Parts: sequence; structure tokens; C-alpha cells
Amino acid sequence: MPAKELKEPCMECKDAEFQITVRQRKLCNSCYKRFVAYKVIARMSRYRPYGLDQPRHQLLLPVSFGVSSSVLLHILDTDRQRRLDESRLVGYDFHIIVVDPSTVSETARASFDQKFELMQKSFPAHTFTRVPFHSIFDHASEMEEIMREYAGTHFKDDTSLSNEQRLAAFRASISTATSQADIDTILLTRLIVAFAKKFECKSVLWGDSDSRLAAKALAGVAKGRGASLTWQVSDGMSPWGLEFEYPLRDLYKAELLQYESLCPELSDIVIPDQAPSENVLTKNLSIDELMLRYVQSQGAKYPGVMANVARTANKLESSTSSAAATCALCAGLLGNTEGNTGVTVANQAQDNHSSQFCYGCMRSRPEELC
Amino acid sequence: MAPTLCFNCKEARAVIIRPKNRHKLCRACFIEVFETEVHETIIGTNLFFRGERIAIGASGGKDSTVLAAVMKTLNERYDYGLELCLLSIDEGIRGYRDDSLETVKRNAKQYDMPLVIVGYGELYGWTMDQVVEQVGKKGNCTYCGVFRRQALDRGATRLKINHVVTGHNADDVAETVMMNLLRGDLPRLSRGTSIVTDSGASDVKRSKPLKYAYEKEIVLYAHHRQLDYFSTECIYSPEAFRGSARTLIKDLEKIRPSSILDIVKSGEDMAALVPAEVRGTTKSKKSGAAEDEPSGGCGSQNGRTSVGEMAAMEQQLSANEVAESNETEIKLPAAQPKAKSQPTKVLKAQTIKHCERCNYISSQRICKACLLLDGLNRNRPKTAIEVGIEDEEGSSTLMRQMERAHLSAT
Repeated sequence: MPAKELKEPCMECKDAEFQITVRQRKLCNSCYKRFVAYKVIARMSRYRPYGLDQPRHQLLLPVSFGVSSSVLLHILDTDRQRRLDESRLVGYDFHIIVVDPSTVSETARASFDQKFELMQKSFPAHTFTRVPFHSIFDHASEMEEIMREYAGTHFKDDTSLSNEQRLAAFRASISTATSQADIDTILLTRLIVAFAKKFECKSVLWGDSDSRLAAKALAGVAKGRGASLTWQVSDGMSPWGLEFEYPLRDLYKAELLQYESLCPELSDIVIPDQAPSENVLTKNLSIDELMLRYVQSQGAKYPGVMANVARTANKLESSTSSAAATCALCAGLLGNTEGNTGVTVANQAQDNHSSQFCYGCMRSRPEELC
Repeated sequence: MAPTLCFNCKEARAVIIRPKNRHKLCRACFIEVFETEVHETIIGTNLFFRGERIAIGASGGKDSTVLAAVMKTLNERYDYGLELCLLSIDEGIRGYRDDSLETVKRNAKQYDMPLVIVGYGELYGWTMDQVVEQVGKKGNCTYCGVFRRQALDRGATRLKINHVVTGHNADDVAETVMMNLLRGDLPRLSRGTSIVTDSGASDVKRSKPLKYAYEKEIVLYAHHRQLDYFSTECIYSPEAFRGSARTLIKDLEKIRPSSILDIVKSGEDMAALVPAEVRGTTKSKKSGAAEDEPSGGCGSQNGRTSVGEMAAMEQQLSANEVAESNETEIKLPAAQPKAKSQPTKVLKAQTIKHCERCNYISSQRICKACLLLDGLNRNRPKTAIEVGIEDEEGSSTLMRQMERAHLSAT
């Protein structure tokens, strides 16, 4: 049989026509998938198996049914399956936790049961836990008190109501879009941390893409939470004694979308991102949204510059003093980091009368406390 | 409808909505609150000591005019015991600087402070007008920025003053934080927010007492105290880009007015988290104020980047990546596990040296100003050169001009 005549072969395997140009390399579809998977697996190298007698690491993987976390699940599952097929050692097991998207945001109501079932069928090797957002009252019971303290007079916690109604009342007490998004993220993190502890996991694997991490870093800075970047954006020890890892940190959102489009098995599972609405006034956006849009628009022209933001944040060292007092709500540092002699906090003395919440959380507090 | 009463005194009619927190205040309360906040900044950071001589870097613009007015007021009200004077740099831009210098001269009279003007012409042998004639309008801000930083230090040294205060405001600091994050510039991230920057080279330290004051409030303050300031932008800068960071911060301020202050707070915290080995210098020998401000910008442009700069960085980053992926291909397999077992990356550190020619602080062998002067002098038309100095190096020109420079105290 004559050799295949290829017009422009894939630069990796040289055995197929190239389909995708990624970072100035022309690859075929399967080499592209391998390229993306490699970027993730390389990040997971610290959980490599060391020996037969070593227990496997237990990791928690929160899945939102968005593109990024679904792709992460797919890559890790594929890698694990291949190892098992080749009778190689597996270094870790992961539990998948799903906080029911319909209880987090109103936009994702329909057909979620079906998607969840489909995901369970597609990835049968793993354990799945599905909880509603308002189960935070059951699984992180300390939050009840903290939320009451935090919202102050704006939130009357009526314990005779259902958890769902109580959480809705709390969320409604927070006035601006920025603060709502900020507090929602904190509550979700706390719910997931509660499960990580329950399952005795060593780490949580967050499915944030590089673009997302850049937006998170910029938004964190803009919300006065710069000191928390060491675990909200960098890989590192969180205040709860769990490692937070971001294995997708080397991949842009666009590259994950590309990967997803090559996996037909994911197409019915993933809830596609909603296109950002054009006619929203800037001042009505949340800071998180603004930064996401900023990173998206700038990332189209300068993907490397945006990627560099997350990389820069990843170089920060977490504060050395672990004994420092932390915020009751977000577990961030109270006051300044060690070595910071700035007086931003003193300047806003009235804002900080309550010493149990950090600077960033005080900014998102329901009442205008200034 | 009844007029809204002042949030503070509850007596007078509110005429101002504070940009920082949207409080409605009367004129007197706003002025008092603004001054008190600057006072708290000064006290909270132990900025000055009694009897210290302070030079106020004055450009005639709103920031430095407000700074001079507030410093004078506070010095009298709280009895700091400071000896204040104004220090101006004359870049030699006709139609811009000569007018703003008139403003500074009036300010000197109004505030009863001595004024010293140092010119680029006498320091470097080149006015900005001459530089622009030579290099064109594009890129001339680089020269101006580099020259100005040294000029302030040199001017202060002449006056035997080792503390210069500048009018940098919270917006400037916030911009710098965002810029440095976007540029991945950790050394600058670690020192850009600090209120005082010591110089290792000269004994001149810089500080920014208005670091927590919003630009909008500075304008309001200037307006309500009817200060005399000069508000035209530098005539060479109108085409300068309003960079990414600037736009971003304006948007953030619309969403949450406290954002600017929040960014400053984040910047201060992150500065303390920058690994010691990339900070550039240790505490005892801090890098100079001279190196602190991003190069290539005048006051109105400080911390902003041009799109060209971003594109250049993008190109470099993607080239790095290509180089990296090429590198893995030829790497020896044995070398890989070793590289992986290394937990932390080795980060490139900055070291601070002194310029071999003018002895000014520099991270290179020869400082930026001397390099730029070299370029300028090389291309200077022979006819424009005075007899006898053709063969002189840029640095000796500089030295000679420095010797000749005299300070005209007005």
C-alpha cells in the first residue's frame, strides 16, 4: 500500500492531517487531546504512586457541569483508566461532588437530573455525591451562627423555615451583585471543604482554567483579598488544612472548549456557558464578572499576558505566621499580612469594629458600614 | 424637597458626595475629613520626625498643589515642626512647563515656602524640547521619565534635604498594583505600594502622603479650597495610551467605589508575600526610589502601559513557550526527574548597583539616564555642539553640567 499523502501532517505523530493549531503547533485531533491531557497530568505528578503498599491519595473533585470541571474529570478519568488497562499503579482515587447547579443559580434549572445520571453512567469508576447548596446548614453547621453574625440586622434567621428558604433569605440580604457573587463563592467553598473533610481527602482539585484563575486573581485584588490569593489562585495549603490544587492552570479556556468539542461523550453532560450579555451597564456587573470579561477580551489579543497573571500570583508565598487570626467567614487573614505596615485598615477604622471578619468580607457585608 | 444635611455635622447642607464612600458632606466637613485622613496616614506610618526638612515635589498640577496645601495646613495645625520647601523640575517644554512653573511660583508665594527649580538643561545639557527635536514625539516620554527621577534626587541633594514628598494618589498606587500584576513584575509589586521608598544611592527618600487619597477627592479638595493649580496635560503626552489598568480601575470604581482603596490594601498585603529572593534587595539596603516608578512615563502616564508594550510582552511570552517546548524535545531523559523533584522555582533576582559614570543607583552597569544621554549625544549635530566638547563622553558632559548647575532660589 502506498504511503499516505498528507498535505500538512500533524507535527507530533506525522501520521494524520493537522486539524488544530495550538500555541504555534499544528496538531491532529488525537495529538491535541494528548497535549491537553499532558498539561493536566504533569500537574498531578505529586500524586504519583510510590509503591504497592502505599495507600492511594484521596482527592475531592467538585464538578459544576461547566466546561472546565467536566474536562478535568474526563482527563483524570481517562488517565486512570489507561493506567488500569495497562496494569500500572494508580496513585489516587477521587470523589466527585456536585453542588446542584439549580440551587446555586436560577439559570440552570432544566434537565439537570438527566445530566447527573448521564455523568454517573459515563464515569462509573467513581463515587458521586450530589447536594443542594442549602445543605450547607447540615454539613457545615457552624456556618449558621457565622452567617447570622455576618448579616447583622438585615437577616432574620427564621429556623422554622426550610434550609432552602433560610439560605435564600440570607443571600437576599446582600445588596450588590459584587457582594453576592463574593459571598456565594465563599459559601460554596465552605460546603465543599466540609465534604473534603468528611471524605478524609487530602486535596481539593478545582477546575479553574488559566483564564479563570487570571480573572480570580484580578478580582481578588480588586476586592481587597490580595492576601488570600496564595490559596485561591496558587496551588497551596488552604486555611482548612487541605491542599487546594488547580490542575488546569496551564490551559486557556478556549483550549478546554476545543477539547470538549472533541469528546462527544461530554456534549450531553456539559452545561454550556451563557454568552455574556452585551447590554449590561458596567456598574451593574459584579467585579468577578467584569474581570472575567476583561480577561476574555484581552485574552483574545494577548493570551500570554493574561496567563502570566495567574503565574505571577502563583509565585507569591503564603504568609509564614500560621498562628495569625483568621476571618470567621472566609478564613482569610484578619488585618494585614506580616510585614505590611500600610494603614488602609486603620484608615477605615469604623469598618473594622467587628474583629471577626476580614477586610474583604467587611466590604461585602449587607449593611453599608461606613 | 428639603436639602440633604451633611452626614458628618448634620447641620450644614450637603454639597458633596464623597467619591470614596458616597457620603453626603458639607464643604467644611469634606475639607476636614480629607485633611484628617492625610494626617492619620502621616501619623500611622510615622512618616516624619520633628525638625525634618521636607522638599515637596511640585509640578503645579492638582496633586502636588493639594499636597503642598495640605502639608502646610497640617504642619501648622498639628505642629509637626517640619521645614517645608517646594522643589520643581523644569523639563524645558515650552508652552507647558513654563506655564505650570508660573503656577508653582505663585504657590510658593501663597504658601510662603521657598522654591527651587532644577532644569534638565543644566542637569543633562538637553531640554525636552531639544530631545523631541531629536527623537520625535514617539518615545520621548521614556527620556523624560528617566531624567525626572534622577532630577528630583539631585535637586534635593543640592538643597541638602533627604526627604522628598510626591503627590502620588490612591489611583496611581492602585494602577501600579494592577500594572505590575499584569506585567508579572514581582520586584515592583513588592515595593510599589509602600509609602516610603528609600534610596540606596543617595540619602534621599521618597514618600507619598496622599497614597490613600482618591484622585477625585483631590480635585474636589482643590476646587473647594479654590487652590491655584495648572490643569493642562503635558503637550507631548496627549497621544499617550490610556492603558489597560487605567480603564479597568475606572470600571471598578463604578461598580464599587471602595475598589481603589481595596486594591491598595491587596497590593500592600501581596507586597509582603513576594518571596524575599525576588524583592531585589533586603530591608537594610532597599532599592532606590529611582527604580520604583515604571520607566517610560511622565506623571500623567505613570503606571500605564501602551498597547505596544503589551503586544511586545505577548510576543516574548509566546516565544518563551515555543523555546520551552523545543527544549523539552532535546532534554536528556535522565535530567527530568531531577527537575521535577525541585519543589520551588528559582526566581530571577534583581541586584542594585551604582552607575559607573554618574554613581547614580542602577540595576545595570551604566544607568538608564547615562545610556539615553549617550544615544542623544552621539546623534547631536556637530554644528550644535560647543567648541571643545566634541570628544567628551555623555557622562563627562553630565558632570560638567552638574558642576555648572546653580540653583535659583526664588
